[in-house]
Order: sequence, then C-alpha cells, then structure tokens
Amino acid sequence: MTAEQKLNALFAAEAVPARDLGFQADVVQRIARQRAWATVAALVPWLIAATALLWGVQPVIAAAADQLVPVLAPVAMILTLVAGSLVVAVWLTRRLGRA
Amino acid sequence: MALILTDADLVIAAVAGSDAAYARLVDRHQAAVRGFLRRMLGGSGSATVAEADDLAQETFVTGWRALRSLKEPGGVRAWLCGIALRKARDRLRSLRRGAARDGAWLETVSVPPGIQPEDRLALTAAMAALPEDVRACVALCLADGWSHGEAALALNLPLGTVKSHIARGRARLLAALGGSDDS
Repeated sequence: MTAEQKLNALFAAEAVPARDLGFQADVVQRIARQRAWATVAALVPWLIAATALLWGVQPVIAAAADQLVPVLAPVAMILTLVAGSLVVAVWLTRRLGRA
Repeated sequence: MALILTDADLVIAAVAGSDAAYARLVDRHQAAVRGFLRRMLGGSGSATVAEADDLAQETFVTGWRALRSLKEPGGVRAWLCGIALRKARDRLRSLRRGAARDGAWLETVSVPPGIQPEDRLALTAAMAALPEDVRACVALCLADGWSHGEAALALNLPLGTVKSHIARGRARLLAALGGSDDS
C-alpha cells in the first residue's frame, strides 16, 4: 500500500457519520438554554420598570383598596357560592345522566 | 413529495426564528464541522474527539447567535467552519498540544485493513506538527474533499495560499507515512 493510499484510507476511516441525532439534540438543548437565558435577561428591564411603577402608584392603590374591600368582600362571597353551586349542579347532571 | 430546502432557505427561516430550520442546518453540517475540528485539534484519541465535539457544539451555538451577520446564506458551511477555525485556534493556544500524543489508545484504536496503528499515530503526529493554516487547508480539502475556493472562503485565505498550503501539507503527511516528500 502506498503512502497516498494509506493517507486516503486513514482520512476516510476518520470521517464523522453524516447523521448524528445525539449531537444534534445536544446543540438544540444548548440553544434552548441560551434562548431561555436571553428571555430572562430581556424581562429584567420590564420587571424593574413594573416594580418602580407599582412602588410609585402604591399609595393610590392602597387608598383604592381600602374603599373597595367593603364592597368586594360580599361580592367575592356571592361569586364563590354561585361557582360552588354550578360545580355541584354539573357534577350531579353528569352523574344522573349516566345512571 | 418532501420539499428539499436549500441552505439559504434554512438560514432565512432560522433568522426568522425557526429552531427547526437551524436544527436541519446542524444536521447537514455537523459532520463537516466536527471532522474539521477533530483534525485541527490534532488527533483521534477519545479525549480529543470529545473536545472537538464540544467545540463543534459551541460553534453551532455561536453560529445561531450570529446568524444575522451571515452575508451569504448559501455559504453557511464555510461560514460555520470559519467560526470553528477561530475557536480551534483559541483552544490550541490554551492547550498547546504537542505532536506526540498519548499512545495508550494506540492498541485499542481500529484502523483500516492493511494499515498499521503506527501509521495512524504517525499521521496524527504529522497533522499536529503542521502550522495551523496548513492543517486547516489539509483538513478541509484533502480529508473532507472541499474545493480550494470554498476552503479559501472558510479560512479567509487567498486561493493561491490555500493551494500551496495543501501541496506542502500533503508532502509532509506522505513523508510521515513513508512516502517521498514529492510523491
């Protein structure tokens, strides 16, 4: 075997498989991780802005909440009762419909 | 009938945000990039293969981040190998691997019929001893069958330089395998 043939044979033997799903999956995973970090980094300024905004309007919200609590408490109780009744009604309808 | 998309189509889709398109580009070009990096890092020992594959993954992630800067979407393979070359240079600078590799794997490594394991080691050592640009040209054109023009594009070298690097590198590899320098 000549040196030229040896060279060609060795290069051919070292060839990487044309498809490698494991490698591809690793790359996709790394990209997904990068994308996730980029998303988090992009959200940070918005988070800071939202925090500052809430901190700024906090006195207004607190004052409004004080006024709304007496109204909202009975409304929330009524809504809870209605939702509970609906759940029971639907459950009973299905149960009796099967029987 | 399945639609066969060109590299340019896939690049455009990937730039628009399609991870599936980029995954197809990885599928198409992983063999070229990994083969190139394995040869650039100078060996087929298991440690070098793992190192080269890790670097190839980094290359594709860097490529994904920089995809918008790709001027010619059709030349994505050469562009990726250009990124791989820069990463290989950085890694070689930090590792400074010598030509003499650990021979522990020599007895276990499989070689093509008619070739001695020592020939593989000689080739590995000769590749590692080549200057980086010469090794890159040899890895792309002699080992992976790239055209001289495409290698020149990937390595950012003049065409004439690529041709002379290949001639010089080939002569040295053949000499290492027992041939004459001018064969």
